[in-house]
Amino acid sequence: MKDDYLWDKSGQPDPEIQKLEEILGTLRYQPKPLELPEELPVSRRRNYFPLIAIAASLLLALVAGGVWLRVRNQSVPQPQHVEVVPTPAPIEEKKPQPITQKPVVPENAIAVNRRPHHKPVTTALSKRERDEGLAAKEQLMMALRLTTEKLSLIHRKTQNTTPASQIKNQHRVG
Amino acid sequence: MKPLFRTKLKLPLLVLSLLLPVVVHAQDSRLQLSSLDHLAGKANQTVDVNVDERLMKVAAKVLSDKNADEREVKKLVEGLKGIYVKSFQFDNAGEYSAADLETIRTQVRGPGWTRLVNVISKKDGNVEVYLLFNGEQVGGLAVLYSEEKELTVVNIVGPVDLDKLAKLEGQFGVPELEIEKTKKNEK
Repeated sequence: MKDDYLWDKSGQPDPEIQKLEEILGTLRYQPKPLELPEELPVSRRRNYFPLIAIAASLLLALVAGGVWLRVRNQSVPQPQHVEVVPTPAPIEEKKPQPITQKPVVPENAIAVNRRPHHKPVTTALSKRERDEGLAAKEQLMMALRLTTEKLSLIHRKTQNTTPASQIKNQHRVG
Repeated sequence: MKPLFRTKLKLPLLVLSLLLPVVVHAQDSRLQLSSLDHLAGKANQTVDVNVDERLMKVAAKVLSDKNADEREVKKLVEGLKGIYVKSFQFDNAGEYSAADLETIRTQVRGPGWTRLVNVISKKDGNVEVYLLFNGEQVGGLAVLYSEEKELTVVNIVGPVDLDKLAKLEGQFGVPELEIEKTKKNEK
């Protein structure tokens, strides 16, 4: 037997190889046109865009809500820096605060007072809270004083109503 | 691609448009007074009061129940969300402009706001009182006082009890105002 048969089918073939060729020859490639089935199940490509759009909009809404809450929280404490009354000249009689009369509590005592939760709120005020409260009270009183001052002007004017002074009541603006 | 945008972006826009009123609603009766800040440089005296809800509660803790005046103030302050005042006094007339006033007026021309009183006086200045109504309830108060050498804006945010406010008149050295009578006469 020559190996050429296995190489280029020349020369004497080996019977065993021939036998194998006959057996495997049935499985040889048969050139024929591709036949597609009549009804091929077409799988449509699913469009994920609406879902993505919904998810994106919800995410955007959450982010917007978060930003809004954060801005709101930041804007709320801002005025808490108790308004200052920058007055180059003395505004009005500024009553001295009786802050100096506050009992000076040692630091240790404050720490002790904070612990028991059953104590009344009024006694549980820390020094800082009390200072803040007094400052806020002063501002509150000043605001109310100004408000009532202006309202009293209206009262005076309504009492002395003359044709010259015009008073218009209850005009719906909005 | 264009039709894709036209159709698919409708939903996010719809969601955003639904969220918008929520953000707008948060404004309430709080007026933006920061537009007047530039007047502080020209003013001889400036009063700037910013008491928000938290400070109001802190102040309420300090207010004494034994003092009649403070007790009344405490009652008035309950439920309020803030009191904001800006007052400027000038050495000369004409330091503030009509545009400054207009920035406040445009805000109280919004829906819900009602001008309760408008007093015009060349001698004593002009006073305008606005109330914000949330249905039947008063949701805020604004007082705008303008005089040649003074500009004052008071903004009370929250359910202002006019009866309680009326009780405060006569205190702090201020005469009685009788807001109640004014209200009844209007009805």
